[in-house]
Amino acid sequence: MSSGGRGGKRRGPPPPAPSGAAAKRANPSPGAPQPPPPAAAAAAGAEEEDMMDEDVFLDESLLAEDEAALLLIQRDEALASRLARWKRPALPADLAAGCTRAVVFQQLEIDYVIGESHKELLPNSSGAAAILRIFGVTREGHSICCQVHGFEPYFYIGCPSGMGPDDISCFHQTLEVRMKESNRSSNVPRFVKRVELVQKQTIMHYQTQQSQPFLKIVVALPTMVASCRGILERGITIEGLGSKSFLTYESNILFALRFMIDRNIVGGNWIEIPAGRYRKAARVMSYCQLELDCLYFILNTTNRYSDLVSHAAEGEYSKMAPFRILSFDIECAGRKGHFPEPTHDPVIQIANLVTHQGEGQPFVRNVMTLKSCSPIVGVDVMPFDTERDILLAWRDLIREVDPDIIIGYNICKFDLPYLIERAEVLKIAEFPILGRIRNSRVRVRDATFSSRQYGVRESKDVTIEGRVQFDLLQAMQRDYKLSSYSLNSVSAHFLGEQKEDVHHSIISDLQNGNSETRRRLAVYCLKDAYLPQRLLDKLMYIYNYVEMARVTGVPISFLLSRGQSIKVLSQLLRKAKQKNLVIPNIKGQGSGQDTFEGATVLEARAGFYEKPIATLDFASLYPSIMMAYNLCYCTLVPPEDARKLNLPPESINKTPSGEIFVKPELQKGILPEILEELLAARKRAKADLKEAKDPLERAVLDGRQLALKVSANSVYGFTGATVGQLPCLEISSSVTSYGRQMIEHTKKLVEDKFTTVGGYEHNAEVIYGDTDSVMVQFGVSTVEDAMKLGREAADYISGTFTKPIKLEFEKVYFPYLLISKKRYAGLYWTNPGKFDKMDAKGIETVRRDNCLLVKNLVTECLHKILVDRDVPGAVQYVKNTISDLLMNRVDLSLLVITKGLTKTGEDYAVKAAHVELAERMRKRDPATAPTVGDRVPYVIIKAAKGAKAYEKSEDPIYVLDNNIPIDPQYYLENQISKPLLRIFEPILKNASKELLHGSHTRSVSISTPSNSGIMKFAKKQLTCLGCKAVISGASQTLCSHCKGREAELYCKTVANVSDLEMLFGRLWTQCQECQGSLHQDVLCTSRDCPIFYRRRKAQKDMAEARLQLDRWDF
Amino acid sequence: MPVPKPMERKQAAYSNLDERYAIQGEKYQGQQYSHIYFTRLHHMRNLLHALVPSWKPHLPVTTVLGLEEGKDCIIVGTLYKHMKLKPSILDEYSKERSAIPLVKPHNFMHPDDHLILEDESGRVTLAGAIPPAAFVTGVVVALHGKETSAGNFLVEDVLEAGLPPQTALSSACEDKYVVFVSGLSVGSDTFNPLQFQLLIDHVTGHLGDDNEQIMASNIVRVVVVGNSVHISPRFVNGQTVASKDQSRIAEPIKELDIMLTQLVASLPVDIMPGCHDPANFSLPQQPLHRCLFSGASTYNTFSSCSNPHQFDLDSVQFLGTSGQNIDDLYKYSDAKDKLEFMERTLRWRHLAPTAPNSLGCYPYTDKDPFLVESCPHVYFVGNQDKYETRLLEGPEKQKVRLISIPRFSESGVAVMVNLRNLECSTLSFSTSFDA
Repeated sequence: MSSGGRGGKRRGPPPPAPSGAAAKRANPSPGAPQPPPPAAAAAAGAEEEDMMDEDVFLDESLLAEDEAALLLIQRDEALASRLARWKRPALPADLAAGCTRAVVFQQLEIDYVIGESHKELLPNSSGAAAILRIFGVTREGHSICCQVHGFEPYFYIGCPSGMGPDDISCFHQTLEVRMKESNRSSNVPRFVKRVELVQKQTIMHYQTQQSQPFLKIVVALPTMVASCRGILERGITIEGLGSKSFLTYESNILFALRFMIDRNIVGGNWIEIPAGRYRKAARVMSYCQLELDCLYFILNTTNRYSDLVSHAAEGEYSKMAPFRILSFDIECAGRKGHFPEPTHDPVIQIANLVTHQGEGQPFVRNVMTLKSCSPIVGVDVMPFDTERDILLAWRDLIREVDPDIIIGYNICKFDLPYLIERAEVLKIAEFPILGRIRNSRVRVRDATFSSRQYGVRESKDVTIEGRVQFDLLQAMQRDYKLSSYSLNSVSAHFLGEQKEDVHHSIISDLQNGNSETRRRLAVYCLKDAYLPQRLLDKLMYIYNYVEMARVTGVPISFLLSRGQSIKVLSQLLRKAKQKNLVIPNIKGQGSGQDTFEGATVLEARAGFYEKPIATLDFASLYPSIMMAYNLCYCTLVPPEDARKLNLPPESINKTPSGEIFVKPELQKGILPEILEELLAARKRAKADLKEAKDPLERAVLDGRQLALKVSANSVYGFTGATVGQLPCLEISSSVTSYGRQMIEHTKKLVEDKFTTVGGYEHNAEVIYGDTDSVMVQFGVSTVEDAMKLGREAADYISGTFTKPIKLEFEKVYFPYLLISKKRYAGLYWTNPGKFDKMDAKGIETVRRDNCLLVKNLVTECLHKILVDRDVPGAVQYVKNTISDLLMNRVDLSLLVITKGLTKTGEDYAVKAAHVELAERMRKRDPATAPTVGDRVPYVIIKAAKGAKAYEKSEDPIYVLDNNIPIDPQYYLENQISKPLLRIFEPILKNASKELLHGSHTRSVSISTPSNSGIMKFAKKQLTCLGCKAVISGASQTLCSHCKGREAELYCKTVANVSDLEMLFGRLWTQCQECQGSLHQDVLCTSRDCPIFYRRRKAQKDMAEARLQLDRWDF
Repeated sequence: MPVPKPMERKQAAYSNLDERYAIQGEKYQGQQYSHIYFTRLHHMRNLLHALVPSWKPHLPVTTVLGLEEGKDCIIVGTLYKHMKLKPSILDEYSKERSAIPLVKPHNFMHPDDHLILEDESGRVTLAGAIPPAAFVTGVVVALHGKETSAGNFLVEDVLEAGLPPQTALSSACEDKYVVFVSGLSVGSDTFNPLQFQLLIDHVTGHLGDDNEQIMASNIVRVVVVGNSVHISPRFVNGQTVASKDQSRIAEPIKELDIMLTQLVASLPVDIMPGCHDPANFSLPQQPLHRCLFSGASTYNTFSSCSNPHQFDLDSVQFLGTSGQNIDDLYKYSDAKDKLEFMERTLRWRHLAPTAPNSLGCYPYTDKDPFLVESCPHVYFVGNQDKYETRLLEGPEKQKVRLISIPRFSESGVAVMVNLRNLECSTLSFSTSFDA
């Protein structure tokens, strides 16, 4: 199924019974032996689900399963040639044979599995142990799976004072007993492996002494960290010390991330395993070409020496390996009026494109179809007789092609779960082996992702071991604010092309047709598979995300599935480790209700400014404040400590919000240090970017500088996230209080210095100030002068701030229309020669509830006011548009309003226009009516007096076909009046009277409905085309009175035909262009496409206009 | 003073062949443009297939789908030119209005443009010996080449259908002239009534000495090639027109009617619609309605014709348009002059290949009226910037007189063709004294 008719299939079907089914699926398979339940998961508590390890046990019995059952379906010639194309390049002989040379690869994914500890590498250990698996690709494109043995999960607690070595061993015993009690079902011989005394320091608060004793508790399996933490937090009785509960440190770090931090591995970097430091796996577990075993540490008498070398992303190691990227899309044959459900509806096509990272063209293009399908140029069409064969062929493709990254549009919520559920319905147990581990089945579970920045989103978490999933839809939703996220509108936005949209009710018809109609569908399916790849390339997602992973140190898969905080935490942990600091696990401290005063916004002096307005911006304001005032966890002095420590006033800063932080001389903060590094790195990246010539290198560098900027800005958010990992409101409220102070300070300085008294021509005036910028009217009339003064002011004021806070002059707005807080528009100048662009904030240009008419009207008015400096022209334009609206001359597609249908009618408390309409449409034709998850387009029509607003909505197509009059008054009052008045009020006196009630609103024309009740009784009579007088003879065109005006009236009729013909031609050829074929009819019904309704209307109008013209042929 | 012997105007046998361009009775019933391409491809493929054995007899002919990598073959299909700068109606809806208006180029060509060949089975991108600048969307050709590993088709040679067969010209011994005038633009700023009157007086024999009058008596027909009137767009854009302006709409038409009446009183006149005339927009444009010419239409020497217009005078075949087809080629491709565009349309055997893609066209379902099945002797195109002419000779002894007729209101030039030898000359009228 495609994103198509579903307006983006953002929401899948109403989840039938997801929780139960999903839970079952989470287990490998029904027949297989059940692994022991994850140890004491309950103790961990639900709120930590976001950060929990899940132990997966290597199921040895599965390995013995008959491989033959998994073999490819038929081995014919076609398949052989396919395999040759699909397979990765063969391993060089020396690598295939032995371990004689170093293996260098770029890792993309790191996970772990529980298995028997390696007997040869770790002769002293036994029993179950966590084995880390690093999946990656070498420069030559070989896939690698590297298993790292000997890394153990651990965390810290503060060592109670007076604990000696004996006490520690005693404590160890007690803990072991308690662990055994709470994990009865587990048969692990030893839970707590070691308890070591170490010297560390906590990150929280300024401390005078350098280190304190901590206990490092090493446990057997990663999930035991949570269980052990639970025991310690609830309290444990220690001999001699009594019952005591502990604050744990670094106990909430995912095991794989812990490994990366300790080994200094960042997401997507290159790893080298020196020659002789690894051995080839004795028993091959994965489908990777090379599978290695190596040790986390080599213990010898003098040194702890690692088998792994982690390369920093520099020089040769900043490049990308040739990953294989699979982009796919599936089509399902839905039943009429239903969204496809895996329990009923078969998968009929799967289109696949495989591309090497960095190459422009896919090297594998194929489409698997149910039943025959005519061939397609350049595409390997693979028809199958049964659905089972399709699914298995796809599994084989995955295994043979061995993609590193799987992409698509809404694959995480639709395509992948659908395939897996469908295979389950069809009882194809061998289907979901899609990961890189032999015979390991894909796990699906429901996941919710919530983040302050991105909001709450539900999704399905499909674990495909060793392969990164990258759902373009998720990426779009995270990174861009768009009015619609359907693949059609996203590709129109970024790629500048409309996508053909085939309604899902047609899909079944195409499937049930012949091999030609299925070919049509396949072409469409392929396009849907190709667009995600194009988007990925165009937006340089691979570069940007790998760079982000490298900068923040988290695995690439975290970037889409997790929020901002994990990235900051990862950096914080890395930095803390260098400084020998440990980070406490403070949880549930905030209820989310603790708030603090946010950023300040100076009162906006609304108006239309026809003099240049200079904008002074603070460069990275919040990061600079944190650096300037050394704000950090480890520099914070709580009030009670302040008295105790008695710090001299010159070595502390008291923030405007009243918190105390020590100056860097006493203790340099970690956060400032992280920020300094990030910003310095960004500076370097930007400098390199200037130098770089190679477009690929530029892409990497640009991605890096962007990642660095985003990371620097997210540090502040991390400290303020009350439900986050390590909230510290003292820091965040100090930051905002400084920010407010600075804005005020800037305003004061500007208004004090730039005065006529001070020798300037005019008095400067601050007209508006936002979070990190201040708008100043210096009173000068040229952009050049304003720039000069702006620069002067920026330099002058920067001098009064603590470094590195810096005020920068960036741009001048001229003219500038300030409507209210956060709402303004203006022309944006960075050089006095010509303006760069028109900049508008908070004005109805993007809101998706509004119809296109509003957007066009607002954009056009702003353009006329700001660029053409033609206020009367703008007024005239508004009047013309309103008059057109009232005279029923507006293109219907401009009036369409769309709203998402999130639930069915009964579930809405209040009746809503789009819900009612969906209900009505279902009664008319259940096949094409919108269902839950669709966006419902509608227009407001003229209805009986007193009709409720929700009764006045109607399907635009129905309106077109039946000539139903729209309600211009509704559009005038509810859609366009507010945004227009907002713009015009600062400019015009009596804006409302002038614009909305002038003479242009007097003349109204309403089209006659063709099928309303009363019209059935009306008799149609021919009227004179000139004066509308009724004429008797059917063959006449004009009444005797108008006969003399024949030529003139004919001209008008024919001009109308001529306009429509032009429109008709342009519209229909455009659609041919989009569908990419001249010889086939246009099928597209994309309601997202701006010309869809217009095309329909042109077709209808054309027929009518021709009839009119034919009347002249007497 | 001797009474001069009345001179008699010569006559020529005329038959109008516009029937194929009539859309009488056709209706818009949801038909799309795919049919017209289909018909065109079907017709042209038969022609090209017949030519292949004499072109490259050893090569197999296949479809786009049947291409095999690296194997030399011939494919026949419709060209599609992918153009970056081609204006799209979708741009009207684009969210961001660029602050700086785009510079409008005379021509939408861009170095990145590329050609695609399409048949019913699929599309393939072309590379190699086929310059995108010389071709446009809608042309049907046969290509020799092979598929590359990237899935493109590397063209080695192109086969066009070439000039259609021509009926032999019977040898005439008399000079007879046809006058072509185009772009009168009555009612526009550039229209000069005196200039037009001079033309009428000359053609009707009211001017000049005996020689000139003898010359005038040899003129057997006048063809008015489009854009005869200019009606201000503000009167016909659907807005209500104030009653005082109502009569002004028809004013230029009345004026034209008066002038034409003078002409038709003395010799036959064909009038074709152009893109600015009160006629439909799509090709083929239907004849201007008789009700527009209350005076001239009473004469049987007046005939209102379609655009394109095809007729036969003393068995010399004429074919011409009011210029839209060539203007459109000029926007989407390149050539050294307008005549070369005209030549190409003949070699492609299609008057307007860019219809319907960028040129408005009626959505025919069962025919493509613009296919040129037999080669005309005179091929004219109106409303061009300047007068140009050339005699095109085909491999099968076809001879075609190509004429680009300038706009009369700007140049004061009308074109005369001699039916005897297809020679071409101009009639130039100037009303300024300093010339």
